[in-house]
Amino acid sequence: METLVEFLRTGMASPGITMLLNNPNFVLIQVLNSVSMGMNFFIIAAGLSLIFGVLKVINFAHGAFYMFGAYIMYSVTETMGLNFFWGVVGAGVGLVLLSAAIERTLFRFVYDKEHLLQLLLTFALVLILGDFAKILWGTEQYSVSYPDNLAGATNLGITYYPSYRLLLCLLGPVIFLAMWLFIEHTRWGRITKAATQNREMLAALGINVPLIYTSVFIVGSALAGIGGALASPFNSPTPGMDAIVIVECFVIVIIGGLGSLWGTFVGALIYGFVFNFGSVIIPNGQDIFAFLILLIVLLFRPWGLFGRPEMEGH
Amino acid sequence: MLHIAKQTAPIIAILTTLGTVQAAEVKIGMLYPITGGGAIYGSPAMTGHRMAVDELNSQGGILGMDVLSVERDTKLNPATAAAAAKEMITKDGVNVIIGGLSSAVGLAISEIAKQEKIVYIATIPKTIQLTTTKKHEYVFRTASHTDFEGDAIAQIAKQLDAQRICDIQLDYAYGHDLADGIDKGLKRHLPTAKKILSLRPKLRATDYNVFITQILGAGCDVVTSGLWGPHFVDFAKQATPFGLFKQIKYITGGEIGSHEIAGSLGKDYPDNVWANSYELWYHHPNQEHETFQNLLAERLGTEETAMWPILALIGVRMYAAAAEKAGSLDAAQISGALKGLTIETPVGPRTIDSETHQADTGQFWGPMVEKEGVPYRVMDPITYIPAHIIE
Amino acid sequence: MTDPMTRSTLMGCVATLVFLLSVPLFHSAYLIDVVTEILIYALFALSLNVIIGYSGNVSFGHAAYFAIGGYTNAILLTTYGWALVPSFVISILATISAAGIVAYFCTRLTDIYFAMLTLAFSMLVWAIAFKWRSATGGDDGFVGILIPDLIGDRTRFYYFTLILVTASVALLWSICHSAFGRTLVAVRENAVRAGFVGVNTRLMRWWAFVIAGTFAGIAGAIFGMFHRGMYVESAFWTQSATVLIMTLLGGMFSFFGPAIGAATLFILERITNEYTEYWPTVLGVVLLVILLFLPDGLSGLARRVHAFTTKNK
Repeated sequence: METLVEFLRTGMASPGITMLLNNPNFVLIQVLNSVSMGMNFFIIAAGLSLIFGVLKVINFAHGAFYMFGAYIMYSVTETMGLNFFWGVVGAGVGLVLLSAAIERTLFRFVYDKEHLLQLLLTFALVLILGDFAKILWGTEQYSVSYPDNLAGATNLGITYYPSYRLLLCLLGPVIFLAMWLFIEHTRWGRITKAATQNREMLAALGINVPLIYTSVFIVGSALAGIGGALASPFNSPTPGMDAIVIVECFVIVIIGGLGSLWGTFVGALIYGFVFNFGSVIIPNGQDIFAFLILLIVLLFRPWGLFGRPEMEGH
Repeated sequence: MLHIAKQTAPIIAILTTLGTVQAAEVKIGMLYPITGGGAIYGSPAMTGHRMAVDELNSQGGILGMDVLSVERDTKLNPATAAAAAKEMITKDGVNVIIGGLSSAVGLAISEIAKQEKIVYIATIPKTIQLTTTKKHEYVFRTASHTDFEGDAIAQIAKQLDAQRICDIQLDYAYGHDLADGIDKGLKRHLPTAKKILSLRPKLRATDYNVFITQILGAGCDVVTSGLWGPHFVDFAKQATPFGLFKQIKYITGGEIGSHEIAGSLGKDYPDNVWANSYELWYHHPNQEHETFQNLLAERLGTEETAMWPILALIGVRMYAAAAEKAGSLDAAQISGALKGLTIETPVGPRTIDSETHQADTGQFWGPMVEKEGVPYRVMDPITYIPAHIIE
Repeated sequence: MTDPMTRSTLMGCVATLVFLLSVPLFHSAYLIDVVTEILIYALFALSLNVIIGYSGNVSFGHAAYFAIGGYTNAILLTTYGWALVPSFVISILATISAAGIVAYFCTRLTDIYFAMLTLAFSMLVWAIAFKWRSATGGDDGFVGILIPDLIGDRTRFYYFTLILVTASVALLWSICHSAFGRTLVAVRENAVRAGFVGVNTRLMRWWAFVIAGTFAGIAGAIFGMFHRGMYVESAFWTQSATVLIMTLLGGMFSFFGPAIGAATLFILERITNEYTEYWPTVLGVVLLVILLFLPDGLSGLARRVHAFTTKNK
C-alpha cells in the first residue's frame, strides 16, 4: 500500500525526530510530558481497574464519572467562586453520592449476570448520564482556571516546565501509594482482596459483602471524579468528553492488566510515552496509537502486563 | 372532516413540492446539531434560524404565505443528517433545506438535495468541496470557506512579518483544507515565509503538550492554526504555562475570536492571538446590527450574544429574497434566483456568485486584547477581511 | 431458535412479506425510505445474532464489516466505475476476508477479551477509513456513489433491497437451522462438553463470525447505495453499539428477534426525535429495561405472552 509507505515516510522525516536527536533539553521535556500525561491517566484509570479487580465489572460509565468531576469542579470554582481545593473535594463528594445511588439502585442487579449484560448496563448509564450532565450544565463552553500558585512554570534547572503538570507527576505516585497501602495494610483492603477470591466464603464468615462491593464502587468512581476535577484546568468540561477519555482508560487498563493497580500505573506510563514520543516521530498518527497498542496487547498478551492469565480462555 | 383532510393532504403536499399549487405555507427545513457535542453551535444557530423565520412572518411571510420551520437534529452525524434531510423532503414536504454544521454533514445534505432536487443553503460548513468538486445546481453556501479563511490568515501573517511559520491543524478534513488554504494564501501574499513545522493533533485531542513543546523547539515566530472551540481552549490552557504566547504570534481560524470562547476563557485567554469571528456582539458595522443584536439578546437572555445565530439568519434571509425574486417556490427557479443575488445583513451585504454558488462572506479579524472593566477579551482593532481572493 | 418453523411464525413471515411487497403501492416516498432502511438494519442485526445468539460471543465491532462492505462497494462503483454485480461480489469477498482474519485472532479468546479485540479491530477499520482520505474521503465521507440506473429510482431500489434482504434472510435461516446451527448452539451452551464430543469449537465460532460478517457486509453495501454515501461514523463503535442494542431488544434467542428489534428501535428513534432531544436517555432506559426485565427481548416477551394466553385456553 503506497499510501502507507507515504504515511510512514512523512513521519520519519519529521522535524520532531531532528529535535529529539539534537536537543537533550527537548528529550527531557517530552519525558516530562509523557510522565505527567501518564500520571494524569493513572489517577483517572485506577478506579476502573480497581472496580474490575473486585467487582469483575468493566464500568463504561467511568468516563461519565470523570466528566461529572470536571463539571462539578467548574461549578464549585467558577460559579460558586470557591478555592480549587474545594473543587476537588466537591468532585469527590459529588461522585460518592452519584455512584452510591447508582450502585444501590442498578448495579447490584448485575453482579451475577453475564459480562455482556454488565457492560451494556454501564453503557446505558453512559447514555443517561450524558443527558443528565447536559440538563445540569447545558452545552456551553466552560473553562476552569489553574489554582493561582500553580499557573506558571517551575524552574527545574535544566528547563522550565508547567508547575501544575509537575504537581500531577507527584500526585500520581502519591495516590498509587495511598491505594496500595490501603489495600495491603488495612482491614478493608484485606477483605476487599479476599472478596476477589471467594465472596461466598466471606459472606459465610459474616462479612457484609454487598457493603464491600458498594464501597469499592464508590472509591473507584470518586477517583474518576477527582481525576476529572484535577484535569479540568487543561481538559475543559465539554459534552462528549466522557467518550474520549474512556477509550484511553481502556487501553491503559488492558495494557497493564485488568484489576492490577501496579499494572494500571505502568500501563499509564507506557501509554504516555508511546503517545508523546510517537506523536513526535509520526506526527499524523495520533488516531491510530491507542488502537494499535490495544490490538498488539490483545493479540499477544490479552491479560496485559500484570494481569492474571486465567482471564483468557479458549 | 378529518378524513377528507387526510386524503387531500398528500395530494396537496405532492402538488406543493411541484410548485403548481399555492399552498398555505412555505416550509423551511432546518438541520443543525441540537444534541451531543455539536449542540454548543447548533443550539444558538437554531435560535438565529427561528428569529429569521419570525422576522419573515411578521413582515407578511414569503410571497404572501406564512413560513413554517421544520427542524431536525443532525447529531453531527452525516448519515443521520442525510436521513433527516430525506425525511424532511418526503414526509414534511419542505421547500428548502438550510443549515448543516460540519463539512461531512454539509456534503451529505448536499447530495440529498442533488438527488431530490431541492435547494440546500449551507450556512456553516466550510469545506471547499461544496462549491468546487461537489457543486451542483441546488447547493449554495453563505458560510465562508477554507480558502478565504486561509487567505486571510496569510494576509495577517504578512502584516506581522512572519518568517518561520509553524502550522498546527486538526487531523481531519477541515484542518487539511485550511492548511491548503493557508499555503495558497502564503504563496500569494508572503512567499518569503517558510513553513518549518506542520503539526496534526487528532480531532478531539485532549493533550497538546507534545505539539506545544515542538513548536517551542522549532523556533518559529508565527503559528498558524485552525484549532476551534474546546480544542483552542485546551490548547491555550496547556500552552500558557510554557510561555508559548510570549514567544510566538498565534494567527488562527476557527472563529475563536467570538464571544463564546472569549467569555469562557475569561482572564485565561492568552496574549498575541489574532482570531476571527463572523460577528461580534459589541461591534456594529451598520445600524441593522444594533437592532439585530438587541433582539437576539432578548431571546438568549444575555447581552453578550453568541456568534452562530447570524449565520443561520443569513441563510433564511437569502432564501426568502430568492423566492421573492423568482416569484415562485420551484427549486429550479429559486436556484436561478440565488445566483448573483445580493441581500443586506447585519454584518454587511452578501452576494452569491453565479458561477461558484458561494457568497462573498468575509470575517472580522484582529488581535484579542484585554479590556478595561470587563472580564473577557475583545477584538481590537477589528478589521473586516472580505472574501475576495486576488490571484 | 434452531427448531423448524412453527405455523404461526410461517404465517407471520408470509404476512410480513405481503406487506413489504405492497409498500410502494401506498405512494409515500417517506414510507418507502423508512422501510428500505429498516430492511438494511434488520439484516445487519440478524447477522450479528449469529455471533451473539447462536455462537454465544459478544462482538463490539460488528460495524467494521458493515463499513468494509459499504466502502468497498462505494469505491468500486464510483471511483473505478465498475458494474454493480462485480462490485457487490468483490465487496462481499473483501468483507469475508476481513472477517476471516479478525475471527482467526478473536476466536483464540473468549468473553471480555473477545469483545475487546473485536472493538479494537473495528476501531482500526474506522481509523483507516478516517485517514485514507484519498480512497474513502476521510471524515468528509464518500459522497456521491454512482448507482446503476436500473435501481436509481426509489421504488426500484426498494425492491432491489427487498429481494437481496429476503434472499439473505432465507440463507441465514437455513444456515442457522441446519446441523451447523444446532452445533453452534451446543457450543454456546456448553463449549467444554461440545469439545468432548469432538466438535472443533474454535472452528465453529470462526465460521459463525465469518458468516455474520458476510451478511453485515451485504447490509453495508446496500446502505451505502441507499444513502448515496458512506461515512466513517458507520465504522465507529457507536454503530456497533446500536446494532447490538437492536439485537438484544428484539431478542437474541430467536431467529427473527433482531429484525423486530431493528424495526422497533429505528421507529422509536424517529418518533422520539420529534418530541425531545433526549434520545440518549430514552435509549438508555430502553436498554436498562431489556437488561433488567426482558433479557430475551421483545420476541421472548411475545413468546411468554403467547404461552400464557394459549395455556389459559
